[in-house]
Amino acid sequence: MKKITLVCAAGMSTSLLVSKMKAAAQKMNVEVEIRATAESNFAEFENNTDIILLGPQIGYTLKRMKEKYEPRGMKVAVINSLDYGVMNGAKVLKEALEM
Amino acid sequence: MIYNAAKIKEKMQEGMVAFANNKYIKSISDGMIFMMTPIIVGSIFMLFANLPIATYKNFIDVHGITFILKVPVTFTINIMAVLSVFFIAYNVADQFEKDGGMAGLLALISFFIVTPMGEIKNNNHIFNYISFDWLGPKGLFVAIIIGMVTARIYVFFVQKGLVIKMPEGVPPAVSKSFTGLVPGFVTTSLALLIFIIFKYTPFGSLNQMIYNCIQIPLEGLSASYGALLIVNLAIGVLWFFGLHGTIIVFNGIMAPVYLAMDMENLAAYEAGTVLPNILGYQFFRCYVFMSGTGMTIGLMLVMAFFAKSSQYKTLGRLALPMSIFNINEPLIFGTPIVLNPFMLIPFLLTPLVTSSIAYIVTAIGIVPRLNGIQIPWPTPMILSGLMEGSWKIAVLQVILALISFSIYYFPFKALDRRAWEQEKKNSVDNA
Repeated sequence: MKKITLVCAAGMSTSLLVSKMKAAAQKMNVEVEIRATAESNFAEFENNTDIILLGPQIGYTLKRMKEKYEPRGMKVAVINSLDYGVMNGAKVLKEALEM
Repeated sequence: MIYNAAKIKEKMQEGMVAFANNKYIKSISDGMIFMMTPIIVGSIFMLFANLPIATYKNFIDVHGITFILKVPVTFTINIMAVLSVFFIAYNVADQFEKDGGMAGLLALISFFIVTPMGEIKNNNHIFNYISFDWLGPKGLFVAIIIGMVTARIYVFFVQKGLVIKMPEGVPPAVSKSFTGLVPGFVTTSLALLIFIIFKYTPFGSLNQMIYNCIQIPLEGLSASYGALLIVNLAIGVLWFFGLHGTIIVFNGIMAPVYLAMDMENLAAYEAGTVLPNILGYQFFRCYVFMSGTGMTIGLMLVMAFFAKSSQYKTLGRLALPMSIFNINEPLIFGTPIVLNPFMLIPFLLTPLVTSSIAYIVTAIGIVPRLNGIQIPWPTPMILSGLMEGSWKIAVLQVILALISFSIYYFPFKALDRRAWEQEKKNSVDNA
């Protein structure tokens, strides 16, 4: 089962997107674990994540996160900002799974 | 124009990467996030010790409950420098992927060594004590500096391998305690040296020197109206380019100063004297970040209730519940505000106008200064105003929300019209 961790500044706004993505996953019938966390808290999930999705507002951390976590086999991407804004859970999930 | 803006965004992102990822800035910002827990806990006890209800206040005063309620305040807010020195050192070492706990411990020792002790003679006994004076908000900058320097020295020694190494097979807990020995001896000796040197300066202690030469001037600068405008503009411009301006500018740079100013207000509030500061951490929370950066409450209201296009109607209703808790990423990225010329002026102007009005009416005394109680940042408006000490603050928040509405109204309607026409065209094309 794929594990996706959404990271934003406080883990607040991403948590709404997480619930939309979970609903989408159920509809699409894919087994996936999705959760949101604050950037300063990510270490908690670093051994338990396959895909890291960054909120666009902290997109500037992409390079650092890639350097740190790609060698450990995780995929890192920034969420498309319009999808993030309108909380398009289905599209974000689909793109994440295609990574 | 859009192309250029995208280019500027890229350039700014590169600059911000360097800045926001700076290990020291990040350590302060993360350290302050840790600190909010004890400070909010202390604030809540403070709130109950000072509820402005006469009969309640009388009751708890008479029965000695006030005193009890203030004990947790003493051991959260009034020792915030002690807590900060640990967490900042912890985070610096953590940024370098070294043992944060050990760095925090060493920094704590250094902090206590440089802090002046007092002596009381009672009969034939001599009691040594450390005044709370330097352990609370007044010691915050000493804590930041000692925390960063001690942790950096610790990291240096560990990186260079200048530590006592245990042979293989020794349990990690044991070898860990030996790793700290050499750097610990160095940082402790350095702190002792600083303590001795400063004893013979006119300041008497490092703490007094840093307070006089760094903390007071910084607070003076940050307390000015000019600083309010600059901080607001910087945050707004960064968000306009899609960067988390609040974390970068506010948490990373301004938070320690504004937090110290809030704590001064809180101490005065507790003592019943005049509150010294107009601005502070909660000033921004109450009057600038209310409903999210850019005071987007007005935008959210126009969008949710006056939009013609279904695109914005949907977005407005999606954003509404989050806006109540001061989260507005859906508006920022969904409208979008980012790189949208329609939104640039209202997004930058609204917080400037609302914070200026709040500053002026507070300065002339129509609305009281905020008592500096720290409340969780998702606390909804009006409630946050009431907790900061007065219904007048809550009323001001409502007025500022209406001002936000009036500033966002026309730019948004122009945007909405475009979206509506597009939708109409699409449905005709599809038909």
